[in-house]
Amino acid sequence: MQDVLEVRDINKTFKAKAGNVTAVDKVSLRARRGEVTVIVGPSGSGKTTLLYIIGSLESPDSGEINVFGEDVARSETDLISYRRQRIGFVFQFFNLIPALTGLENVMLPMDLCSVPASAQNDRAVQLLERMGIDGRLQKARVNKMSGGEKQRVAIARALANDPDIILADEPTGNLDSATGKLVVDILVELAREDGKCVIIVTHDESILAVADWAYHMQDGRLKGIETGS
Amino acid sequence: MRALKRGFRNFRRHPLRNLVVILLLFVCLTFSLSMLAVKLASDSQVQEVKESVGNYGEIKVSSDYTMQVFEEERSKSESERQTQSRTMTAEEQLAQRTRFLVSEEITDAFSQEAEVITYDKVLDARISVDDLTNSAMESMLSMRERNVQTGGTAPAALSSDSFSFEGNTNGSSLSDFMVGSKKLTEGSFYSYQDYLKANPVVIIEKTLAETNELSVGDTLTATISGQSGKSGEVDLTIIGIYETVQAEEQVAGQETFNPMGDTLYAPLSVVQKLYNTPGYVQLGSYYFDSEDSVAVLQQVFDNELSDGTLEFATDQESFEVISDPLTKVGKTSMIGLAGALGACALIILLAMAIIIGGRTRELGVLKAIGATNRQVMAQYAVEVICICLVAIILAMGVSAMISQKMGNWLLSDDTATAEQSVTQGNGNGMPQMGFGGAMDSRLYKEGSGFSSGSQESLKLNVVYQGSLFLYGILILFFIGLLGMAVPVIWITRLKPARVLSIE
Repeated sequence: MQDVLEVRDINKTFKAKAGNVTAVDKVSLRARRGEVTVIVGPSGSGKTTLLYIIGSLESPDSGEINVFGEDVARSETDLISYRRQRIGFVFQFFNLIPALTGLENVMLPMDLCSVPASAQNDRAVQLLERMGIDGRLQKARVNKMSGGEKQRVAIARALANDPDIILADEPTGNLDSATGKLVVDILVELAREDGKCVIIVTHDESILAVADWAYHMQDGRLKGIETGS
Repeated sequence: MRALKRGFRNFRRHPLRNLVVILLLFVCLTFSLSMLAVKLASDSQVQEVKESVGNYGEIKVSSDYTMQVFEEERSKSESERQTQSRTMTAEEQLAQRTRFLVSEEITDAFSQEAEVITYDKVLDARISVDDLTNSAMESMLSMRERNVQTGGTAPAALSSDSFSFEGNTNGSSLSDFMVGSKKLTEGSFYSYQDYLKANPVVIIEKTLAETNELSVGDTLTATISGQSGKSGEVDLTIIGIYETVQAEEQVAGQETFNPMGDTLYAPLSVVQKLYNTPGYVQLGSYYFDSEDSVAVLQQVFDNELSDGTLEFATDQESFEVISDPLTKVGKTSMIGLAGALGACALIILLAMAIIIGGRTRELGVLKAIGATNRQVMAQYAVEVICICLVAIILAMGVSAMISQKMGNWLLSDDTATAEQSVTQGNGNGMPQMGFGGAMDSRLYKEGSGFSSGSQESLKLNVVYQGSLFLYGILILFFIGLLGMAVPVIWITRLKPARVLSIE
């Protein structure tokens, strides 16, 4: 399997009233195409910060991130291009735009990349159908949807620009166990069938069962663990 | 383009929120635009007033001097006056006739000033015309006669063949015709050449012509003041007939008369000959380049021409009476405009702060999925512009309907003051008749028509001009830019990682 992502010696420290807090401490990580990487750890362990650093929403104090062997540059234009083409985010709280329909939410990343309107629509419909969101629901506002539906719309949105890496931050954290399992299955399917590099951060250790690579994060430090899979 | 579409879509998807902001903006913008319309109207009206009022002046014998002469005459007994009259030399008689007149040398000298645009000279005198019956005068005399029999005062020495002759240098610039109180219905005006050559021509009133069966081309014989016999007669050819447009008839019992109808108009040089006052006029009439020149010309008059018996009367006071309320309204509307625009600015700033504050997560998501700052800003700019555009279109429509009322409301207090001043400015408010001598404070440019003392009320005509539309667009951009400031600051400072971590 081809290495998609390589994170080397990443550090991130936040300033707080009580002093500096090291959220990510010399973390190194590799992730490959077609594999699911799961990072587990308690709240405040720094896993979301690590995910945001990989997704370029947060900049590291030091260290290097390589995608397909190339360092992710730090100029604003390159970061925007990186976010659009390489990264798809799935959040715990879905972060869909409530005023838009499911279909429009999925079309939005393509719209930002100036994809023609008809192509946007076709791809968004295709992705939503794959996620089990039918035509009627596609045109409903997302604030009328259930948590599972919202998360599936969010995954479809993450796939809109066909990124190489899917970053999922507690994707089951706001769902019941059955819906959570459904969402995890979708993410696994994206890795296995579409060859996406899926990175899931969660405090739910049951997700470790689907991981190709598993890590435990504690106090900003990452440690590889056996998954048994 | 896509950002514009997204912005417009977002605008449509928050109708209630947008409606509240639009309503607030609409109220303030309506007030702003109304105030602006009133300001533009008052400025333009002051400018219009400047073109017709405040740039006129005339040199004539002063009222104080006239009063002084009357007082001296009154102190003399009747026998003293008769004795004086019998023993007067020809020079003394001329001096007697011209004591309320101005030398043409003075009026001509003043016309040389650079600020003077047009110049005219006027002489008004009572002249006897043989075989012409002044029916209006007859009516008035019979009324006075009845008053005397019932204990009234005896009339002055007037006769039914006595007519008021008004002369100037060009018939078409006679003030009565300029102000529209009289209208030439037949024939033509005398020209400047008629004045220069002293051609004996005359314009008479229509009823007078009909009563005496006269028409254009007929001749009248007038007698030169102080002379008798054939040598004292001048044949005047009728070249025009006028009618009194603003005739006001004074009714007394069964009889009526139109005193405006006894005036005959002739070239100044002819009237001077008939009144036997060559080189003298009643007044010099001047229009200046601007009302700003009045002060300069007043100084010239005071320093170089005034001998204590003359005055330089201008319509400066009339200009102030008319323009002051308009200027005040302009200032008040400017304050109102500034206040309302300030309120608009505050509303849009607060509204956008609330809107953006409530959509912070949306901004974070947009940036997380790869939107550039410019794309996000453009989207919000469209939302702001849409809100402002709807508000300003509504405001323009409503302000077009209420601006006049706002103007009237602002003007109402000042108008009352102005009307009072105008009435006081006209003296005692009593009807003023004719062009009757130096005692008359009326300016020649106002014509010799009746004045009831009450003036037409001052009005502000708020016309919705094209410039207001342009100002509306400017206000739209101003508010839009201000409204944009909030999202611009917010978007550039926003860290998506922080926003997306918030539950």
